[in-house]
Amino acid sequence: MISCTEFIPAYSELFKFLEKKKDKVAVTDFWNFLSDEFLTNLRDEVFENGLLGCWNYWNKTLKEEAADFTMVLDEKAQEFSITMHHCPSKGLLLEQKQTEPYRDYCEHCIVLYQRVLDPLGFEYEHDQSQTNKAKCRLTVKPKKEIN
Amino acid sequence: MTKKSIVQQASDNAYYHKDFHIALNYGIEYLYKNFGEDAVVEYLMQFANNYHTPLKKSLSTIGLAAIKKHYEKIFKIEGAAYDMNFPKDNSELTIHLHASTAVMHIKKNGHLLAPAYEKTVSVVNQEICRNTPYDCELMEYKQDNGAYKIHFFKRDL
Repeated sequence: MISCTEFIPAYSELFKFLEKKKDKVAVTDFWNFLSDEFLTNLRDEVFENGLLGCWNYWNKTLKEEAADFTMVLDEKAQEFSITMHHCPSKGLLLEQKQTEPYRDYCEHCIVLYQRVLDPLGFEYEHDQSQTNKAKCRLTVKPKKEIN
Repeated sequence: MTKKSIVQQASDNAYYHKDFHIALNYGIEYLYKNFGEDAVVEYLMQFANNYHTPLKKSLSTIGLAAIKKHYEKIFKIEGAAYDMNFPKDNSELTIHLHASTAVMHIKKNGHLLAPAYEKTVSVVNQEICRNTPYDCELMEYKQDNGAYKIHFFKRDL
């Protein structure tokens, strides 16, 4: 049995495998598939509760992943944010010696979450400029209406 | 209007996110549907050869005690019920997992088990043994709960 604690290296290796087997498009196609099939809990939460749904979803998952983070829900400002001080997934991949992380590993977050949140009327922004240090910041806001 | 925040450090929580089992299951399903069973096998070989390099080295140097220690650790984290038969001469090891916590979690949450999911047991362990003095055979695998018996033994030279 592959333990859930071994998943992140298995995930990164899957991206490498798909790119080698076919191309980067196959990797993105898999992320889309995973978003549709796997993130139904995030979709349901946000559909029911809006930004509070983001809080409910990540409050559970990030604790289970033992992440080092600050999470803020500001309903007046209509903004949800996560400042990831140390991402457990990227951190693990950077720490282990036996394999290199997939080059675009962190991109999966953008694809998976944007695909859920965009159709529900939310903007998802993700600053990934420091992912080489396992740090990042994401914000979710309602889309501005264009008249 | 609520404003709330939370600050957590890694040490505040245990690292155990069971939904990763579901994500891996979809990885296997995607490979199987788009590239076939051979791709599932190739992928798991790649994963095992890269990720389990330290375990392969330990297997070559200290023998099957390395496999025993590895799975004892995994099963403890997962809270899995199992038993092991490991004779004192270190020549063989049989592991009986009574139910896979991965399979049970996937099914409990309403997801179908991917075709060829059992390769996560057979292929990964075969690859851990490849180019070591040991080999293994998956003796039993139950599709309904992922229970299995796997036998590790010394290769004929």
